[in-house]
Amino acid sequence: MPMKPLPSSSSRVPVKFKIPTADNLVPIRLDIEIDGQRYRDAFTWNPSDPDSEVVVFAKRTVKDLKLPPAFITQIAQSIQSQLADFRSYEGQDMFAGEKIVPIKLDMRVNHTLVRDQFLWDLNNFESDPEEFARTFCRDMDIQDPEVGPAIAFAIREQLYEIAIQNVTSARESRISKKGRRGFEYVPASKAGGISLDLVKYFGQKNSVVRKRKDWDAFEPIVDILSSEEVDALEVREKKNTR
Amino acid sequence: MATTTRPDTRGEDLDELDLYTIPIHSSWFSWDDIHDTERVALREFFDGSSISRTPKIYKDYRDFIINRYREDASRRLTFTEVRKALVGDVSLLHKVFLFLEKWGLINFAAPPGRGAGGVGEGDDDDGGGARRSRVAVEDGAPVGVRVVAVPNSGRPMTLPTPAVGKHDGRKGSTAGQFRLPSLASYSDVFAGLMKQKGLVCGSCRGTCDESGCYEYTKSFPFLSELWSLQQQQAQGEFNICANCYNNGNCGENKSLDDFEFKEGKGNSASHAATWTEAETQLLLESILKHGDDWDLVAQDVKTKTKLDCILKLIELPFGEFMLGYTNRNGRDCNVDGNANNVSQVQSATSELPPETKTMEQANDQTEEIEPNQINDVLNEGPPLKKKRVASLSDGGSSLMKQVSLMSALVSPNIASAATESAVSAICNETFCPREIFYGSNSHVSNGSSVPAMNHLGRDIENGETEMKDEVPPSDAQGPLPTEGHMPLQVRAATATALGVAAARAKLLADQEDREIEHLVASMIETQMKKVHDKIKYFEHLEHIMEKEYAEMDDLKGLVVSERINILQKALSAGISRWRDQFSLKPLTGS
Repeated sequence: MPMKPLPSSSSRVPVKFKIPTADNLVPIRLDIEIDGQRYRDAFTWNPSDPDSEVVVFAKRTVKDLKLPPAFITQIAQSIQSQLADFRSYEGQDMFAGEKIVPIKLDMRVNHTLVRDQFLWDLNNFESDPEEFARTFCRDMDIQDPEVGPAIAFAIREQLYEIAIQNVTSARESRISKKGRRGFEYVPASKAGGISLDLVKYFGQKNSVVRKRKDWDAFEPIVDILSSEEVDALEVREKKNTR
Repeated sequence: MATTTRPDTRGEDLDELDLYTIPIHSSWFSWDDIHDTERVALREFFDGSSISRTPKIYKDYRDFIINRYREDASRRLTFTEVRKALVGDVSLLHKVFLFLEKWGLINFAAPPGRGAGGVGEGDDDDGGGARRSRVAVEDGAPVGVRVVAVPNSGRPMTLPTPAVGKHDGRKGSTAGQFRLPSLASYSDVFAGLMKQKGLVCGSCRGTCDESGCYEYTKSFPFLSELWSLQQQQAQGEFNICANCYNNGNCGENKSLDDFEFKEGKGNSASHAATWTEAETQLLLESILKHGDDWDLVAQDVKTKTKLDCILKLIELPFGEFMLGYTNRNGRDCNVDGNANNVSQVQSATSELPPETKTMEQANDQTEEIEPNQINDVLNEGPPLKKKRVASLSDGGSSLMKQVSLMSALVSPNIASAATESAVSAICNETFCPREIFYGSNSHVSNGSSVPAMNHLGRDIENGETEMKDEVPPSDAQGPLPTEGHMPLQVRAATATALGVAAARAKLLADQEDREIEHLVASMIETQMKKVHDKIKYFEHLEHIMEKEYAEMDDLKGLVVSERINILQKALSAGISRWRDQFSLKPLTGS
C-alpha cells in the first residue's frame, strides 16, 4: 500500500491526475450508428497498452458481432479520441486535500435494476471497483453476469468525471478545503466538486455509525424486471433521447 | 481458514453474558483495546494521514460490525449490509470487513457463504456469483452491448454467441468438445488447436491437409504489410497450399521465397499409423456411441483423420463384427451387445481339439453334415459352423488325414462299429448306393475291417490320393469307381471319422465320470471323518463341562451355607443397620 511519507502531507501536496483506483483504467463508452445499425458498448482500457491494440480490438469486435466493416474505423477512432482525452489530463495536478465523494448508481442492466449510493475516498489509490462490484453481486445474489462489470464501469466512469473536474478546478484555484455543507446528494455527474464535510462526519463528536433513518438511503436496491417492464422502459428511453 | 486451531470459547461479558465463539488465533481481540495485529493490517487508520481515518473511527467501525454480526451469529453478515450503516469510503470499509472476517471475528459460526470462503484478495475460486462476475469482468461478453437492427425497433438483436468468454472456452476444450469458435478472441487463444484441425490456404481458401502446405515465414519490415496481414495473423500462420505455390499464386506482397514447405497430414504416414492405446479406446467408445458416422468418430478421436479411424477399425480383431453390429443397431447398441458378439467370435476361433469334443457336439456335427454335400458344408454353411468345421479339417485334402488320425485314437473294433453304423445311416438316406455298400458289407464283415483301419493309419502322409486304397471294399466291387461315387465314399469316410470321434469321446467321458465319482467318494469320506472327529471332540467338551458344572454346584452350596452362617452371626451380634446394607449389595450383585 502506498504509504504517505508524512502524516499530513497528503492534504497539502497536490496529487497528479489519476483515476483514484488501484489500476488506472480508462472507462470507454461507444455509441456508434451507421446505416441504421447501432452499436453501444462500454468497457475499460488500459492507457499504457500500445495504441496498435485499438485497431486490432476494433477489427475483432466487428468480426465477433458481425458488424459491417465501416464500424472498424469508427470504433477505433472513438476509442482513440477518448484515450487522447484521458492522456491530456495526465501529469496535471488533480487536487489538494481530502475528498470523499458520494457515488450514486441508478442503472439497468438487462433485467436487473440497481440503485445504490455509497462513499468513495478519492485519496484511496488501492480501491478496486471490480472487487466492490463482485462483492455487491455476491451479497445481493445477482445472477446476471453482466451486472457486476456494469457496476464497476459505472463507478469508474463517475470517478473519472470527478477526477477531470478536480483537475479543472485545481487549475483555476486552490480548492477551498471546506466543501459544500449539507447532506445533499446530487447525481455524481454534477457532484465533482462536492465532497463530504469530513469534519462533520469524522470529527470527534460524531459517530461514524449512521442514524437508522439514513440506512434506507444507503441501502442498495436491486430489482429484477419482467420482460414487459424492460420493453416499456426501453420505449421510454427511446422517447427521451429524441 | 484452514489453519484454524480449536475454537476457543470465551465469555464476553459486555452487555449480557452471552458466549461467542471466535477462533483461538483471534484471542488477541479485546473490545477495549486495539491490538498490534490490527495496527499492522490496517495501517492507514494509524498513520494519522486523514481525519477520516483515525484509530477511533477504526474502533467504531470494528465494534459496529462485530456487534452487528453478533445480533444473530448464525447468519452470514454481508458487506453490503454493513456499509449502508457506516459513513466512510466503501473500499476502506470493505478492507476492515475482510480483515474481521479473515480473523473469524465475524461470520465464524455462520454457514459458509456462497462465495466468501477464502477472504483474501485472490478469491477467484469462490462460488458461483463471484466467479460469474469475475468471468464477465475479464473476458465476458461486452457490457451492455446492443446491436440494433433497425433504429426504430428498439429490440436488441441476439448476439451470435452471447458469452463465449475465455473461461467457457477453457472448459469446453478440456471437455473435448471441438466446436468452431465464433469469437475472434477465441480463435486468438486457440489458434494452435485450430491449426491442428486444418490449415487453410490463404490464397485459394482450400484445405491443405492432404497435400501439405507452404508456411509464410517472412517477418514484416513494414507496418502496412503488417496491417494487411493482420487478419490472417489473427488466425495463425499464413499458409498456401501446394497447388497455389506451384502456380505462383501466393497472395499480395509476398514472394514465393518466403514460404517454407510443411508436410501435410496425408504425407506423414507414420503419424497416422501409430495408434496409442488411449486413441484406440477413444475410437472404440466413439464407434459404440456414433455407429458408422465417421465424421463424428473422427471428431472424437481428435488426433486421427476419418480415414485413419476406418483403417484402424478394420485392422482391429473383430472390428468388422463390431462395425456390422453398429451398422445394424446404430446408436442403440450397447456394450453388452458388443461383448456378446466378441464372445461368440472367440468361441468360434478358439477351437477345441477334436479329441476333447463331447458326444453332443459330435452328434451335432454329424447331423449338420449328413444332409448336405460336403462341399456345401465347407463353403456355404452358417459362419460359426463353418469355422468349426474348417478348423477340424482345413481343406478337403487333409480330410483323410483327420479321419485316419482319429480312427487311430480308438481301438479297431470300435472304429469298425462306428463305420458300420455310419455307412448304414448313409444307405438309409439314399437308395442307390445301398448295393455298393451292401456288396462291400460282406467284405467288411469278413473281418477285413481291422486291416482296413490299419491301412487308414498308414495313409496319413498320402492323403486323398490314396482314396481308393482307403475304401478297398468298394474298389473290390469293380464296376463302381466312377466319378459320381467319389463324394459318397468321402462322405462315408467323414461319417466314420465322426463316429470314431464320438466313440472316443464317449470313452473319455466315461473315464472322466469314473474319476469324478472316485474323487467325490474320497471327498465325502474325508468329510465324514472330519465330522466324526468333531463329534468326538464335542463329546469330550461336554464331559468336561458336566464335571465343571458339578463342581460349581458344590461351590454354590458352600457359598450359600457360608452366607447363612455369616448372617446368623451378624444377627446374633445385633448390627441391624449394617446388615441391611450388606444384605442388599450382594443380593443385587448376585
